[in-house]
Amino acid sequence: MTRGLETMSEYPSKIKTRKYFIAAILLFIVQMLLGLVMSVNFLARDSSTNLPLTFDILKALHLNLMVLWLLLGFIGGLYYLLPVETGRDIKHPRLIDMQFWFLLLIGIGIIISEIFFTGRNWWLVEGREYLEAGRVWDLLLTAGLLSVVYNVIATILESKNKLSSPILVLAAGAIGSILMYVPGEIWFDSIVAAEYFRWWVVHYWVEASFELIAAGVIALILLAMTQVRREIIEKYLAIEVALILLTGIIGQGHHYYWIGTPGVWIFLGGLFSALQPVPLFLMVWSAYKDLKENKKPILNKVVLYMIIGATIGNFVGAGLWGFLHTLPQINFFTHGTQITSSHAHFATPGTYLLLVIGIAYLAIPEISGKLNFSQYRGKIGFWLLVIGFLNMIIALMIAGVIQVYQQRVEGLGFMSVQNTLLPYFGWRLIGGLIAFAGGLLIAYDLILISTIKVKVERNNINKEI
Amino acid sequence: MNNNRLILIGLLIPAILMIPFSIVSFYTDFANRNPDPLSVTVDFGQNAYNAVEGKKAFEQYQCTGCHTIVGNGAYFAPDMTTVYKRIGENDAALSNFVLSGAPAKGMPPMRDRGMKEDDAYRITAFLKYTNMLDTNGWPGAGSWERDGNPDSTPAQNLDFSDIWQVVAGIVFINILIFAILFAYENKKNDEGA
Ligand code: HEM
Ligand SMILES: [Fe+2]
Repeated sequence: MTRGLETMSEYPSKIKTRKYFIAAILLFIVQMLLGLVMSVNFLARDSSTNLPLTFDILKALHLNLMVLWLLLGFIGGLYYLLPVETGRDIKHPRLIDMQFWFLLLIGIGIIISEIFFTGRNWWLVEGREYLEAGRVWDLLLTAGLLSVVYNVIATILESKNKLSSPILVLAAGAIGSILMYVPGEIWFDSIVAAEYFRWWVVHYWVEASFELIAAGVIALILLAMTQVRREIIEKYLAIEVALILLTGIIGQGHHYYWIGTPGVWIFLGGLFSALQPVPLFLMVWSAYKDLKENKKPILNKVVLYMIIGATIGNFVGAGLWGFLHTLPQINFFTHGTQITSSHAHFATPGTYLLLVIGIAYLAIPEISGKLNFSQYRGKIGFWLLVIGFLNMIIALMIAGVIQVYQQRVEGLGFMSVQNTLLPYFGWRLIGGLIAFAGGLLIAYDLILISTIKVKVERNNINKEI
Repeated sequence: MNNNRLILIGLLIPAILMIPFSIVSFYTDFANRNPDPLSVTVDFGQNAYNAVEGKKAFEQYQCTGCHTIVGNGAYFAPDMTTVYKRIGENDAALSNFVLSGAPAKGMPPMRDRGMKEDDAYRITAFLKYTNMLDTNGWPGAGSWERDGNPDSTPAQNLDFSDIWQVVAGIVFINILIFAILFAYENKKNDEGA
């Protein structure tokens, strides 16, 4: 407890990151709620047209709110982890607050645009998967992210410590995320060119930039929680990151098999993306070795759960579930079916959700001076998320196999196949409900930890200073 | 090797290779592989509507919020890449369908979104263009050829009387998951004791 307060008074801007994590987890709850309504739409299709929000609007918000809370979680995590590693406080603490409200405002703008302007104004709703938010919001978001990168770089440049690999990797991930967002915003007449660059946003985010952020954050958390030697952790990090980039950048080709791009991508994409699981396996293995070697007792078990969960979710959900359908011979049949959905619902929450919750459980107890918080709610929440998502993933996988066989091999019509899949969509809804319970429990827990007794502790800090 | 240099090599080699790959992709798209979307048009009455305007409308009405195009989008509704062929290359039938939707299957009438005939015609031109793309054979000959009419299969709702296989699956999988959970938590308790 004392240690937390010490660093708090050393780096007062840490306390500003709390709202990022709380907002992220609350937006995640909203995202799941939208997902639940959509799974009901699948079970009774006319409900989509009878409810005030049709399926496309729910789906757009499902994705856009996810992007927003992922970014909030990452930015909060960056601001929280940076001071200790660089040995100085964030350069412009006031920007931390301003950026938060700015991003939240963009989120509200996106929600209002989707609900009231879909189909009515292309500048407000652009309707391309993951980039549904219109140009106006894209530009504002880019500006907001640029200011975050400015603040991060300004902090790093004035650091007394030598530039460490985790910091370099985190900065590269943050800069990469912004750079890769831009090509997706260029207008092309050709759908082929437009899709080509839309995938730069999606793939180079989740399989490159975000993956760097994940690797860097996991390395920093291991450094903070264990006493494994820094050189070992940094060496592994460098090899992992080099391999992620080496395989992932050209692995982009697995999105270029069937969109009108030349056949050379079938070879390139298949070859490189088949190697993508290798660094993800290395991440599990190195975390396992580090934790085994570590003698220092780890008190915050919830963070440990989330971080181990994230490395395993990354390897199995992204690596193995991705490998399942990344070879062109297989992807020809599975492309655009529930198999894709199964992978997406394994890789994204399995890696990035657990990572963000993990940082939140590291940061919020420290910020709130509650390092000895009761951990059982966090653990139960973790298991509920795991059970819920695994049910959803398996249900979607079975649905996907049936869909591929009936629709792509036998040639049955779309709607008759959907009718066959109904029981599995029902199963998916059950999984979603369980995961939703886990999300609620974790949100409740984090809010509880962050509110109790905060005022007293903060006064103490001020007195000490 | 120095860590940072290793990372830099991992970044630069594939990033530089992406430049020629991208150039080849764009050259073939524009030069010979796929039609120029500006030149793909459909005629309605006196006017010609082209696929570029159509692409913009397709995005604006958020069609990929339910459908996929070249396999990308949402999986609530059928893929649109070759719908032009499935509907018998019938411009009028396609644009009418877009405007009036299929509420019982979950598709809202696009008229309710403020869509006018013009935008439906533009989208028809866009779908004519996507049908002409060279997608390396995707989505495959087995995939759901049709006779030129909109899909006549009605959507069903979940029927709870005939789902015993799924219930068995749910029970089985969850017993497995719980077994793993208990093994993990118990092993830790043993170590702790
Ligand atoms: C944490 C890392 C990853 C995340 C978050 C992730 C997420 C996703 C998501 C959300 C999609 C769905 C896109 C859509 O709906 O159109 C997708 C598609 C895909 N992913 Fe991943 N993925 C990850 C890593 C991987 C890896 C490592 C591989 C290969 C080994 C892979 C292979 C694929 C393929 C082939 C598709 C395209 C499916 C299709 O439309 O045919 N992914 N991924
Ligand atoms: Fe990808």
